[in-house]
Amino acid sequence: MKLNRRTFLGTTAAASAALAAPMVMAQGRPRVVVVGGGAGGATAARYIAKDSKGEVDVTLIEPTRTYYTCFFSNLYLGGFKEIDDIGHTYGGLAANGVNVVHDWATGVDRDAKTVALAGGGSVAYDKLILSPGIDFVDGAVEGWDMSAQNAMPHAYKAGSQSELLRAQLQAMPQGGTFAMVAPPNPYRCPPGPYERVSMVAHWMKLNNPTAKILVADPKPKFSKMALFEEGWNNHYAGMIDWVGEDFGGGVVSVDPAAMTVTIDGEVTNVDVCNVIPAMKAGRIADLAGVTDGKWAPVNAADMSSKADADIYVLGDASQQGDMPKSGFSANSQAKVCANAVRGALTGSKVFPAKYSNTCWSLIEANDGVKVGATYEATEEKIAKVDGFISQTGETSAVRKATYEESEGWYTGITSDMFG
Amino acid sequence: MSDIPANTAPAAAAISAPGFSVAPELLAIEGDMEYGEYLASECTACHQASGANNGIPAIIGWEPDDFVIAMHAYKQKHRDNPVMQMVTGRLANDEIAALAAYFNSLEP
Repeated sequence: MKLNRRTFLGTTAAASAALAAPMVMAQGRPRVVVVGGGAGGATAARYIAKDSKGEVDVTLIEPTRTYYTCFFSNLYLGGFKEIDDIGHTYGGLAANGVNVVHDWATGVDRDAKTVALAGGGSVAYDKLILSPGIDFVDGAVEGWDMSAQNAMPHAYKAGSQSELLRAQLQAMPQGGTFAMVAPPNPYRCPPGPYERVSMVAHWMKLNNPTAKILVADPKPKFSKMALFEEGWNNHYAGMIDWVGEDFGGGVVSVDPAAMTVTIDGEVTNVDVCNVIPAMKAGRIADLAGVTDGKWAPVNAADMSSKADADIYVLGDASQQGDMPKSGFSANSQAKVCANAVRGALTGSKVFPAKYSNTCWSLIEANDGVKVGATYEATEEKIAKVDGFISQTGETSAVRKATYEESEGWYTGITSDMFG
Repeated sequence: MSDIPANTAPAAAAISAPGFSVAPELLAIEGDMEYGEYLASECTACHQASGANNGIPAIIGWEPDDFVIAMHAYKQKHRDNPVMQMVTGRLANDEIAALAAYFNSLEP
């Protein structure tokens, strides 16, 4: 039976069996399967397909037909973007030779080297790249579970949750309270919760100026803290009450039915409550058996799993060392991985790993800040080499230029991901 | 000194920047295109490979000498964008030459 896309798409039992058969594999092009079409997975799929020029068969498994980026979803919340501005489809990847399958990966058979699909059937791989992003730790915030995500949205996977949180923000009564339960380290997008606070405050300042923001945070400090605190004082004085670890911010429970938040025993009635629970690797990493605790340990040189040399884990789900869990990091890791995977399958030249990250955050209109670093692969981990961070007291011209740069970056990275 | 270089004739600004020049031997390095393509993937996280730009300059189709001069101007902190200073800070001379060769080969 000839191996082609039609046999794969017709996910009958016979086709699946043929796909899994080693003899068929040996005669076909080498196969890469990528699970998860975000900053890590989409980039890896695109680069392997593009650079191998048809030598490698690349299949991307991603359940959603439109991907909403978590990065810039806070700007949507603040009214700087509309939802379509952060939505991206997979047509560009398909046009560049990636076989895009909209389905859930429900399991990995590492002996047979197949990925099972929720829609039936399975797809065989020579190399498997997992880039599933994050899931939430059960029971991380007392009183909250996934059944409460409509009453108290997380909005930490962008899309309908982002739309829900924005609708709730805009429906708040005048003088109401917006609460956030911030996550413990490590989590996706370290400055994300605080940019979100800034964007909520921006919206309130224009539309609901007597409203308040209450943040319960289990951490004593957070990313870009001095920059955010300076911005909050400058732009939103008296609006934001951040309760950190020292004041009981980690001793928090919520009641989605009563719409209350209890911080260190003190109960507060709130109008909106954004619960961002503790995070772990997306479930397929667990199902594949490549996690150790909450995350999937990887080798720094190529992002290969420490549990299986034919599986790679990118982005938020990976445990790699010093890089923050960000879209930029995942995109950077994907290119190193793509170069290594292509080299392993086709004999193309493999260059040394170089990683980098930059995270921009918007505090108020035209008040952007950034933090970034470069990284290298060591035996032990991905290790930080050099870095920078915006300074407090910068001129408004510098901050405006930083914001404009972030807009350029958004266009650049989404083009880099989706083609 | 501008934080964000202009999109048009960008390297001319670097060349004419007072007090900055690049040794001729740096301009003479022949760039490895294949290595340049790999290294360029770091650049294209921000700079669009199509040459489109909004907020971040286009960098394709530059004359290699202009590209090399601009990169060394950031590397030596003669230009002041912190992202570019960081990225160029760890690029070796042959890597800058490789990038110059690769981006020169891309047409808008």
